[in-house]
Amino acid sequence: MSTELRIGSELRSAPRPMTRERMRWYVDAQATVAADNGRIATQDPTIHDDDDYAKKQGLPGIIADGMISTNWIMGLLLDAFGADFARKGKLRTKYIAPIHENQIVISCARLTSIEKASEGDTAFHFDVWCEDDSQVKLTVGEALVYSSRR
Amino acid sequence: MATGRYVSDLDRGDVLGPVEYTLSPFVVREYCHAVELHHEFFQGVENQIAPPTLIHLEKLRLYRHACPAGTGPSARVHVEYDATFYEPVRVGEPLRVGGKVTDRYLKRGRDYVQIDMELRSAMDGRLLVTYRDTVILSYQPKEAAA
Repeated sequence: MSTELRIGSELRSAPRPMTRERMRWYVDAQATVAADNGRIATQDPTIHDDDDYAKKQGLPGIIADGMISTNWIMGLLLDAFGADFARKGKLRTKYIAPIHENQIVISCARLTSIEKASEGDTAFHFDVWCEDDSQVKLTVGEALVYSSRR
Repeated sequence: MATGRYVSDLDRGDVLGPVEYTLSPFVVREYCHAVELHHEFFQGVENQIAPPTLIHLEKLRLYRHACPAGTGPSARVHVEYDATFYEPVRVGEPLRVGGKVTDRYLKRGRDYVQIDMELRSAMDGRLLVTYRDTVILSYQPKEAAA
């Protein structure tokens, strides 16, 4: 992490459109992880990859699985802190609005407090969220990162 | 007990698992590729670890174990991910995951189900990740679906 973080500092990702393909990659990952046979697996239609099925479930069309935005927030903090954040910490994300096909998503984190932790680590507390290109929040939550960085 | 059939049958107090398994390098790379976590500690060969978000798919592992008939009449919608990671989850390490349905409640016509899970090393019982997952069992409120 080359930039010094202060209370109020914000990390922001580049805008990413939530394409149909990004939604389907996650759907396929679920089946692929379950099969674990070295090949890409697929599954029955879901609300994340089949418009007709999504409409039958009361949605206007496919929506993104919330875990995509959770992972994009995770990636933002991993970019800043490296593997430290995958080893120890906390992450909570709540999906407050559906993310539709091609909607722009920006992952964000704002540092709210810093404190000394055990073993020489520093604890960084963040508010985290994903917003669209109109700054409408789609996902909200908090993160706690333990890092040897100060 | 409401296990043994559909996920939509699950109710407060139901115990899911435990299930023992090992994460392969393949599944960690594929998962991280799908969610664009292109970091070498996930995608590489040596000292590979798993992202703590992968525990959400371990919930699906518990579903398959406890609810072999599948989802039920409607698609679930994920509401909240809430995880604490205590130690890295290392690829190849034997793991044990278990969960419990801690709440099921109706809010604005929708059924909410909350599951608390623990992921531990199957070798020595070390706690690696705890996870609270909240879903709604159907996007459509009950009165709209009726």
